[in-house]
Amino acid sequence: MSRKANRDLSFSAGLQGGILSHYAKTILSALLVLVLVSVPVWAGLGQPEASVTSDQLHMKSEHRVQDFQAYKVHELTNTEGAVVREYVSPEGTVFGITWHGRSTPDMNQLLGNYVNNFETATRDQTHILPRRGITIKTNDFAYTNFCRMGVCSGSAYAPKLLPGSVTVEVMR
Amino acid sequence: MKRQFSCVAAVAPFLLGVMILAGVVGCGSGNSSAPKTTVVSNTATVTASSGPNGLAGGIVNGLYVTVTVCQHGTTTCIPINNVQVDTGSVGLRLVQGTLGSVMLTPINVNGSPLEECRQYGDTSYSWGPLEFADVQIGGETASNIPVQLLGQVSAPAPSNCLTMPVNSNLPGTPPGNEDTLASLGSNGLLGIAGQIFDCGNACTTVSFTSGYPYYTCPNGTCQAVGAPTTDQAVNPVAQFSGSDNNGVMITLPSVVSSGAMSVSGTMNFGIATRSDNALGSATIYALDPCENFPTVTFNGISYTDTFCNGTGSGLGGFLDTGSNAFYISDANTLKSSGVSGISDCASSTGGSGFYCVTGGVTTLSPVNFVGFGGVGSANISLNINDATTLFSTSNSLFNDLGSDSVSGGTPSTDFWDLGLPFFLGRTVFVGIAGTAMPAGVNAPNGFVAF
Repeated sequence: MSRKANRDLSFSAGLQGGILSHYAKTILSALLVLVLVSVPVWAGLGQPEASVTSDQLHMKSEHRVQDFQAYKVHELTNTEGAVVREYVSPEGTVFGITWHGRSTPDMNQLLGNYVNNFETATRDQTHILPRRGITIKTNDFAYTNFCRMGVCSGSAYAPKLLPGSVTVEVMR
Repeated sequence: MKRQFSCVAAVAPFLLGVMILAGVVGCGSGNSSAPKTTVVSNTATVTASSGPNGLAGGIVNGLYVTVTVCQHGTTTCIPINNVQVDTGSVGLRLVQGTLGSVMLTPINVNGSPLEECRQYGDTSYSWGPLEFADVQIGGETASNIPVQLLGQVSAPAPSNCLTMPVNSNLPGTPPGNEDTLASLGSNGLLGIAGQIFDCGNACTTVSFTSGYPYYTCPNGTCQAVGAPTTDQAVNPVAQFSGSDNNGVMITLPSVVSSGAMSVSGTMNFGIATRSDNALGSATIYALDPCENFPTVTFNGISYTDTFCNGTGSGLGGFLDTGSNAFYISDANTLKSSGVSGISDCASSTGGSGFYCVTGGVTTLSPVNFVGFGGVGSANISLNINDATTLFSTSNSLFNDLGSDSVSGGTPSTDFWDLGLPFFLGRTVFVGIAGTAMPAGVNAPNGFVAF
């Protein structure tokens, strides 16, 4: 993977009161208003970059953006220890998501319309590690999750939405 | 039939053995004038097999034990065999019907029964009330501890708990709600991982939402509630009276590479608390705060517990009797690291979901596991056999069954899960964090030793 030399780290907004300055809260209020009027019904995988804001609101998380040459990463972190990274193509579409935390984040929110692919995966497309994990692989959708001892981590991506120069290895 | 689930075997004879032992201890002093000191048996027999549903249940490589559950403070007890031993979770959870007429003590919060919901990584879940019971395993007793009664709740599992849609291919009614012998593949789960509580201080108040486990459901509507640690699902071993409560020692015989139907072994309670659970020549490996080996290295590729240091979603490595295979690396990564012959079995074959191998058993060695803070370093040798070949036998226990940790994964997301195959032919200790560590052991997050 190729990282831009001048990697841009921009802190946008958090929703946890205790860690916010008054200034940030003011910005946040404005952002909240914006968000409340513009949240798409679906967020997450396969959705426009703007939908990340809706996920951020859902997770009550801080939001950080990293710019790479061929994609952008929106990292959402909340005080519950959950981390979600959403990978966005130059065309502005979320093509992949990774997560780790105390539990799996709300997949009904994060998988967008791909939640249907999750629910309709056949037995042949589904690999179950009894109670520990599940992997689903179809032409349009790849999903893996593993939990043990109160720790879960996983990823989901839409192979057909991956930018040409990006490999799945960038998602971590 | 895909053999996806790991589970149990019919076992009753050893229970008799335990009862006899306990009886001898209890009645043995006779005319002796010495002060009576009760020495309980700290050993339970365990069986590794396909479990009570047999191969037809689709399970391989499970580990099972008998647990006796009593109404607190009484001799009204029932032995429950075929409870799966799981070093990757915490708490005793029993399927419906196992208690017979034994009544336990309900735990109420705000006047309603305390319910627990745990969704597992494969989207299946445990859902039902916690009630107090005395729990006996071997000769050891944990008095008045919360036990989960799976399925004994009419409200559906809360959506805040089920953060993943439940896969419709799972057994259970509804799918994923594995609260019967037929759907769970065992009479229950005995979670004896290296920590005391299944949630701990994070659940004494409702400190998080997504995946939160404790609820009350007055009028059929469930709401998250804080649960004091004394009401939470708990590692029964950590609650044993006496000193044998700092961990377990599991010893299983080895099997040949074509497998076996079942084997019997032992689970001793306590570590270095008496002569039969001494560490001996075993090496201690400290675990990180996420109960993992922080780093595993094989053929120049490192698999790091980046989750625990906050930089990613890797999990390093760990030991887990509740995993029914070596879930290690992934087929592409193994290939790119110079291993030839290991691939994912084709979905049309009997071994689908596991590794297939060309050219016979493939040995991966050395696989370096390093403990937390450098406490313990092991070079492990693992054999991987062809799953389709293994499953063409009538065996249900294999020491060389493998699979991807993450199907289609990469070294940054993969891990090395040494499941039950690793325990065959070994003695493995699992030390519980927060209990009395054996002398000289520096492992604040718990340890494993082998």
